[in-house]
Amino acid sequence: MNLNNPWFEAWKRLRKSKIGLAGIAIIFILVAVAIFAPLIAPYSPIEQDIMSRYQAPSQRHLLGTDEMGRDILSRIIYGSRISLQVGLFSIGLALVIGVTLGLIAGYYGGYLDMIIMRIMDIMLAFPSVLLAIAIVAILGPQLKNAMLAIGIINIPRFARIIRSSTITIKEDEFISAARVLGAGDFRIILKHLLPNAMAPLIVQTTLSIATAILEAAALSFLGLGAQPPTPEWGAMLSDARSSLQKAPWVMTFPGMAIIFGVLGFNLLGDGLRDALDPKMKNV
Amino acid sequence: MIKRSLVMFVILSMLIVGLSIGAYAQDPEYGGTFVFGRGGDSVGLDPIQVTDGESFKVTQQIYDNLVQYEPGTTDVIPALAKEWDVSEDGKTWTFYLRENAMFHDGNPVNAEAVKWNFDRWRFEDHEYHIGGEFIYYGYMFGGFPGVIEEVNVVDEYTVEFVLNKTQAPFLNNLAMVPFGISSPVAVKKWGEDYFKHPVGSGAFKFVEWQEGNRVVVEANEDYWGGRPYLDKVVFRSIPDNAARFMELQAGTIDMMDGVSPEDVESIKTAEDLNLLLRPSMNVGYFAMNFSMPPFDDPLVRKAFNHAINKEALIGAFYAGLAEPAKNPMPPSIWGYNDAIEPYEYNPEKAKELLAEAGYEDGFEFDLWYMPVPRPYMPQGKFIAQAIQNFLSQVGVTANLVSYDWGTYLDKTRNEEAQTYLLGWTGDNGDPDNFLYVLLDKTNSDNAYESEELHEVLVEAQRTIDKDKRIELYKEAQEIIHEDAPWVPLVHSTPPLALKPMVKNYIPNPTSTEKFKDVWLDQ
Repeated sequence: MNLNNPWFEAWKRLRKSKIGLAGIAIIFILVAVAIFAPLIAPYSPIEQDIMSRYQAPSQRHLLGTDEMGRDILSRIIYGSRISLQVGLFSIGLALVIGVTLGLIAGYYGGYLDMIIMRIMDIMLAFPSVLLAIAIVAILGPQLKNAMLAIGIINIPRFARIIRSSTITIKEDEFISAARVLGAGDFRIILKHLLPNAMAPLIVQTTLSIATAILEAAALSFLGLGAQPPTPEWGAMLSDARSSLQKAPWVMTFPGMAIIFGVLGFNLLGDGLRDALDPKMKNV
Repeated sequence: MIKRSLVMFVILSMLIVGLSIGAYAQDPEYGGTFVFGRGGDSVGLDPIQVTDGESFKVTQQIYDNLVQYEPGTTDVIPALAKEWDVSEDGKTWTFYLRENAMFHDGNPVNAEAVKWNFDRWRFEDHEYHIGGEFIYYGYMFGGFPGVIEEVNVVDEYTVEFVLNKTQAPFLNNLAMVPFGISSPVAVKKWGEDYFKHPVGSGAFKFVEWQEGNRVVVEANEDYWGGRPYLDKVVFRSIPDNAARFMELQAGTIDMMDGVSPEDVESIKTAEDLNLLLRPSMNVGYFAMNFSMPPFDDPLVRKAFNHAINKEALIGAFYAGLAEPAKNPMPPSIWGYNDAIEPYEYNPEKAKELLAEAGYEDGFEFDLWYMPVPRPYMPQGKFIAQAIQNFLSQVGVTANLVSYDWGTYLDKTRNEEAQTYLLGWTGDNGDPDNFLYVLLDKTNSDNAYESEELHEVLVEAQRTIDKDKRIELYKEAQEIIHEDAPWVPLVHSTPPLALKPMVKNYIPNPTSTEKFKDVWLDQ
């Protein structure tokens, strides 16, 4: 193994960061729960028993039952699938589109740059959740539309980050060298620019997944995301409002699940930022 | 000795004063501001232009009708008209107005003003037939100009109505909140904007309306029935049930409607809160659209009637404060057909009927649910999920759909929903107000167009003899039961929560009431 590989360096530093490791551990648990949901969950997440609504946590139902008499633990377990799905899909979408736009804008500059980045500025001028609500209102309240909306509102951040890195890197000598050797634009962008702009991108992606989970929960809370009986954490919170005083656990546990998921990605993002920061080298 | 008798005298007089203060505490007290928390804002304050309870709650305080309902019932008692006569043939009604009624702008309520109001409502070419569609006039009096052929001013305080055919519920209709009498001067002054500047002759005068937030009215010192006890009433819109309940607990509102079933238990046990039950006169239902297959098939509609467990819904989502429905009108209204045998909850039978209709493998359809709490269905979303679950047990898949409340009503009225939840609270205690308004072919929202039913309902409207009308309405309910256009779900008893200091609040079955006799024990 090449010990001077910058990724290996970064991994070594990440391993020493307690915060980063905690993030990895949480995400690992989350992913495992999501994958093995049918094995772990004691009940079906949508099986109702309206004769036993609002049961307090007990041995039968570890986290109690909700407004439809469904097992809250099972719903939270299955809900992890949806939250991860939302995080990965919507940020994946934002990543692909944002990076493409950012690379084009940064590399070619000029009018193209101006047009793309002004559009991004316009999108950033809206409060992001408001923009997402508008998009969902047009497309119709469904989980897949909510994911799409969250993807769209996250595009400008990626475009900005990658554009600024591109502008710095493209003036570097190794890019000129590649061009002298006859490399085309496409090859330069993919082989030279993108890999060197990776570090901030990874950090941004990780942190964005956390925001995406939160935004999806917010949209579902407003009734614009997952539709019943989908066990989405935000939707669970929303339906639990009417029983806040009578059965607080119905609201508490999905809330804690959201905190847990968001925390995991945020911690990892922080750890990665430290690990990938060149100034931190050998400190 | 003198000293002693003086002491005795002082003690005695103190006792008497003390006793009388104690006695007075039971008598109504003047003064105070009454804050009423509710789930939504009014749509408008011109009563003839609106159809929603949140608007009627306010307009009822500002306006008087010719006649009104006795509090807590739908029996008609005098209001602006102190008495009335009806001719032998039932077509000419004469109302004798009280002479001391004044609009809030100082103009007298006389026969001329009453006539002007009815002319405005019934003639589409009237100069002030503007600002809306006058929906309730069309509903209750059969279009424009409808059954009211003439309105004649006999003398200053006598007004005569001539109908072109007899209408049995005529007097009850006149007492409905939408038919409050406006000041003609004010309507002319404000034109299209009159709905923001209401002027009636009621016990309270309009003060201000902050849209989406509050409506304020204050006591009318010159009210013909005597000044109301309250100085001021504030109607606050607090859409979230839980938030509204917390405000009540915190004491920032004195009373609320739209109580969540979850909170009923804690209100019953709380010392500083009281629970009031509104007499039941409503129906919550699940409607199926005849124009969207497979709901054109009566077997499918009957199968759905067998598939839903109403008792379970009531136990879970009404805190037990409801009874299962088998007819589209509630048993509290005369003419209710108790001989109808309900479609019992029987999933097996439902499956058989579906198989007979050719759907043994089930099908998928859209089920719309209301986004807001209604008195007949406080938690539409939960009920929709429970129904989705019941139907999945007989092999059909419901996709839940919802829109914001205004859109929801528009779309269901346009017959765009495949199946939907909705309900109705009666306005006047007459069966016509349920069966004709909801299910006649001219009014139904689910493309239910039965010629047979239409004939019976129109006949019942024309008939004056009550026994005969009862027979006709019972027949109508049989036809409806056989056609099964709905799954009638429940007749609920809507709970209200209030502070013990609120006295003499008598809930009406019509879901809104006048606050004239309400007082605060401060």
